[in-house]
Amino acid sequence: MSTITNTTKTILRAEGFSCPSCVGKIEKQVSRLEGVESVTVHFASARVEVVHDPALASTDDLVAAIAKAGYTAKPAAF
Amino acid sequence: MNHVHSWLSGRWTVPTVSGLLILASLASSQLLGEPGWGDLFMVAAAVVAGTPVVIKAWRALTAKVIGIDLLVSVAAIGAVVIGEYWEAAAVTFLFAVGHALESATLNKTRSALAELIAVAPDVAVVLRDGQQVEVGAAEVREGETVLVKNGAKVPVDGVVSAGTGALDEASITGESIPVEKSAGDKVFAGTIATGGFLQVTATGVGADTTLARIIHRVEEAQDAKAKTQAFMDRFSAWYTPAIIVMAVLFGLITRDVVLALTLLVIGCPGALVISIPVSIVAGIGRGAKDGILIKGGEFLETSARVDAVALDKTGTLTEGRPKLTDIVPLQPDVDRDEVLLTAARAEAGSEHPLAKPIIDAANAAGLPVVGLPEHTEPVPGKGIVATLDGHRIAVGNLALIESEQGRDPSDDARAAEVGQELAAAGRTPMVVARDGRVIGVVGVADQVRDDAREMVRQLHGAGVKKVVMLTGDIEPVARSVGSQVGVDEIRAGLLPEDKLDAVADLQRQGYTVAMVGDGVNDAPALATADIGVAMGAAGTGVAIETADIALMKDNLLKLPEAVSLARRTVNNMRQNIVIALVTVAALLAGVLFGGVTMAIGMLVHEMSVLVVIANAMRLLRRHGGRTLDRPGDGTGTGTPARAGEVRTPQPA
Repeated sequence: MSTITNTTKTILRAEGFSCPSCVGKIEKQVSRLEGVESVTVHFASARVEVVHDPALASTDDLVAAIAKAGYTAKPAAF
Repeated sequence: MNHVHSWLSGRWTVPTVSGLLILASLASSQLLGEPGWGDLFMVAAAVVAGTPVVIKAWRALTAKVIGIDLLVSVAAIGAVVIGEYWEAAAVTFLFAVGHALESATLNKTRSALAELIAVAPDVAVVLRDGQQVEVGAAEVREGETVLVKNGAKVPVDGVVSAGTGALDEASITGESIPVEKSAGDKVFAGTIATGGFLQVTATGVGADTTLARIIHRVEEAQDAKAKTQAFMDRFSAWYTPAIIVMAVLFGLITRDVVLALTLLVIGCPGALVISIPVSIVAGIGRGAKDGILIKGGEFLETSARVDAVALDKTGTLTEGRPKLTDIVPLQPDVDRDEVLLTAARAEAGSEHPLAKPIIDAANAAGLPVVGLPEHTEPVPGKGIVATLDGHRIAVGNLALIESEQGRDPSDDARAAEVGQELAAAGRTPMVVARDGRVIGVVGVADQVRDDAREMVRQLHGAGVKKVVMLTGDIEPVARSVGSQVGVDEIRAGLLPEDKLDAVADLQRQGYTVAMVGDGVNDAPALATADIGVAMGAAGTGVAIETADIALMKDNLLKLPEAVSLARRTVNNMRQNIVIALVTVAALLAGVLFGGVTMAIGMLVHEMSVLVVIANAMRLLRRHGGRTLDRPGDGTGTGTPARAGEVRTPQPA
């Protein structure tokens, strides 16, 4: 069992996914980051839910990873 | 430098560069007579537009998915291989352009949700230690005092503690007429203050606000798969490989590679794939803007099929605030006040909705109801039996009284007669008996809601065949209310579990049933119904999260509006599917009979995708007349709420 402690869930919203294959791209880029336990991408609502350790992977890191996949995302309070 | 960088990664970069290269190629070969350069530019155009597609196709293949990207990649590469450079460039260029247009317009269909998110407040002004402090909206603590000034967004859910003001609650309820708020009123995060100054005690912050719940629910709904969509996904999964196989076979049989490659292009199921999701996103988004929250595509489809609506009488068709209307003493030695006070004191400990009007009337008549009976025994569906000063008091329907000992049959007959008179007038009669002796009858009536009749009319207009009223009240009262309102069927005298049977019975008759209830005692019936509707859901977290359709405002006319929206959305989905299929069929015919090249095939395909998106966007427009807070004045001379908006006249 290698669960990371001190995890928090961050919800990010991106501008809009237009191709279903983007889901895989984003998930790959974000899960590569150290400290990310899981990432779920919702296509229709353009949301990305990430469970991560903020000490290792900050919100800015997440935003940058999503940008690498080609999308601008912003963290949201809910 | 930043501009260049953002442009380089923009959605129009690839199409632009590819387009320019094609122009360069045409210029070289046609104008400058340099076919060699022409070919080079053409191949370059194909490479620029085609490389991203090939990469996506490769990634998809590694995830064991065969998609459109693969079709287009094979077609483009094949075209280059056999020397059809123009076809290769045209196909990839058009695909890139189409893709850019799609993502731009697809965002528009999500605009309703985006607007809701934009309305979410960022900052709040709180009173801490007497100072006004600005904090992040999500950092307000529950119970803190938040100040809402004129023009500001309300940052939290809460209760007004001081001050007065008007709030535009359109983002939550869909109604844009400002609502007056004063001490004790509830306010919602995301609404805008249009006047006044309010001090609000925070009850819900951040994810705990109605706005957050609405957004969350709309997102979940837009993500959820409709049944038709799940079918489409499975269809596309075997359809795409089938196209490849078919193209290969055709190519081998006819030895015409161009034909095979063209078939690949034609076979792209692009329009088919987005035909359903795009309608669902638009339909749900439109609903959310109007204060109608639908749980998802599947519920949209079911709602469109609804042809029977079951409504609770009390609280839905009536105001839910019953009042005492009649007191009829039936014994010469008992006067009205005594009947009233006896009944009120017996009901003193009861939670039943019919108890309060009796108690209120007694208090109002100067007969204070003090203390509780020595013993209270509610009899479900019949009334209440209590012990007062040693006497056994029964208040309830005739059935309850009949089970009391030591009565005079002529008393019973008179009570029944009075009861029937009251019931025929739409009042619920309750017989009062002391020690088995009938002393009088009281009548309680609940006002029928203003727009109940109009709602039933609109439901019929929206395609609902049967509107059924369910009530625990007695038949004559039910009939009186029912005829005032225009329902098709009445089921009276129902115990809570009978309501479930009523819904199941309608379903057995073949109806798709929507039930409107308050969620508390109607829970089993709501769960049995095909669609459970919660009204006035704003502020009720549970209702928003769980009802199949949650109507934010307590406005009856939203119900027919919801049914109508569901039907329009499902029609839209069907239209899109037809557009997609017809396009493919037409292109196929075109290819087999000649005349349709790869380039034309891709052009028509991309256009069909845009047509599908544009069709879905029609759903985002305001449809016909707006739902108003009150039914029209009947003369049709009202001015539109906004210039250019159509308001359908409401007949009296």
